[in-house]
Amino acid sequence: MPDDPDTFIDNLVSELKPVAPLRQRTGMMRALFALAIGAFLVVTVFGMRPDVRSGHLDPMFLLPTGLFLVLALATAWATIDMARPFVGTRRDGWAWTALMAAVLPGAALGLIASELLHGQQVALDHGGLFCLAFGTLIGLLTACALVLWLKRGAPASPAKAGLYTGVAAGAAGIFAVSFHCPHNDLIHIGIWHGGTVILSGLVGRLALPRLLTW
Amino acid sequence: MIADEATLSRLAALAQHGDRQAYAAMLTACRSWLLRYYRRKVAPEQIEDLVQETLLSVHRKLASYDPARPVVPWLAAIARYRFVDHLRFVYRTAVEAELEDDVPAMDNDDQALIARLSLDRLFEALPDAQQRAIELVKIEGLSITEASVTTGQSESLVKVNIHRGLRRLAALIERI
Repeated sequence: MPDDPDTFIDNLVSELKPVAPLRQRTGMMRALFALAIGAFLVVTVFGMRPDVRSGHLDPMFLLPTGLFLVLALATAWATIDMARPFVGTRRDGWAWTALMAAVLPGAALGLIASELLHGQQVALDHGGLFCLAFGTLIGLLTACALVLWLKRGAPASPAKAGLYTGVAAGAAGIFAVSFHCPHNDLIHIGIWHGGTVILSGLVGRLALPRLLTW
Repeated sequence: MIADEATLSRLAALAQHGDRQAYAAMLTACRSWLLRYYRRKVAPEQIEDLVQETLLSVHRKLASYDPARPVVPWLAAIARYRFVDHLRFVYRTAVEAELEDDVPAMDNDDQALIARLSLDRLFEALPDAQQRAIELVKIEGLSITEASVTTGQSESLVKVNIHRGLRRLAALIERI
């Protein structure tokens, strides 16, 4: 049975405390901080890949790592904005960066198919599980930062917010692991690094909505 | 009288700073808007409950309002979220009530009636053919073929009517 409308409003008014509005920039700073901590942890615990340490950077490090960084930032931005519900806002910009990054696993699959067609053997396990496991694990730092931010706000679509958080976390995690991973081959990067983002996105989509309802 | 958007934005920004007078005015204006919003969507006896639930969410999530943006789209997003949540709740309760034999029959009937009323409200916006197709296939669980025989529509028309009807319902829920 609902309360008397006036009494109900009076009760809410009597409970009012000043609140700081959620600022997009503050949320983004937190996500960036989590991403930086992740990269720092990877480099401190596992060490930096030789070409980065020596300053002679390989294009196969720069390009995919840059793509994953852009994907992490774009998706984190969209996720953080979801804390402030608003009818009519489009937050699909991140999907274009996801599509760009999807070129990596797409190209890797194309390469595998081509090699199989020519009767060549394809090796997938060049430390791939390490990248997948630690990329996902390190991504949890970004996931925590984003989930805590979303819990302060009011994400109107917990399912989407979970997916976005997972993708951002996976991309941030694999960005960090890229500073250690010594592999420069497209198949490793496309399958295992790209797979980390896909796996994290799926986990986020399945596990987080329950946590994000309000 | 309902405050204009600029006034509402100013009131919401003041409320975030702890101004109780502004907050009371803002909540009253929000309440008027919500009454109109829910009137088209739910049964009359559920409106006040839903309005109060939404105002409680507004209260708890006041920090999620961005003072640089207008208030109504923010309020509409919260209202839509609460409405979808409400629909989920009444249908879940109705289904559970159907499955539990030990619950008094009167409660089951009440819940089923409430769920039905919400759905009927939404269905008012659909053409008869779409209503019938959704009701038979999505609610009563008939196959497309059975629904086709019952309604006299071809199977492909039943599918098209379900698709269009559901899209229309989604748009109705999203409409401010």
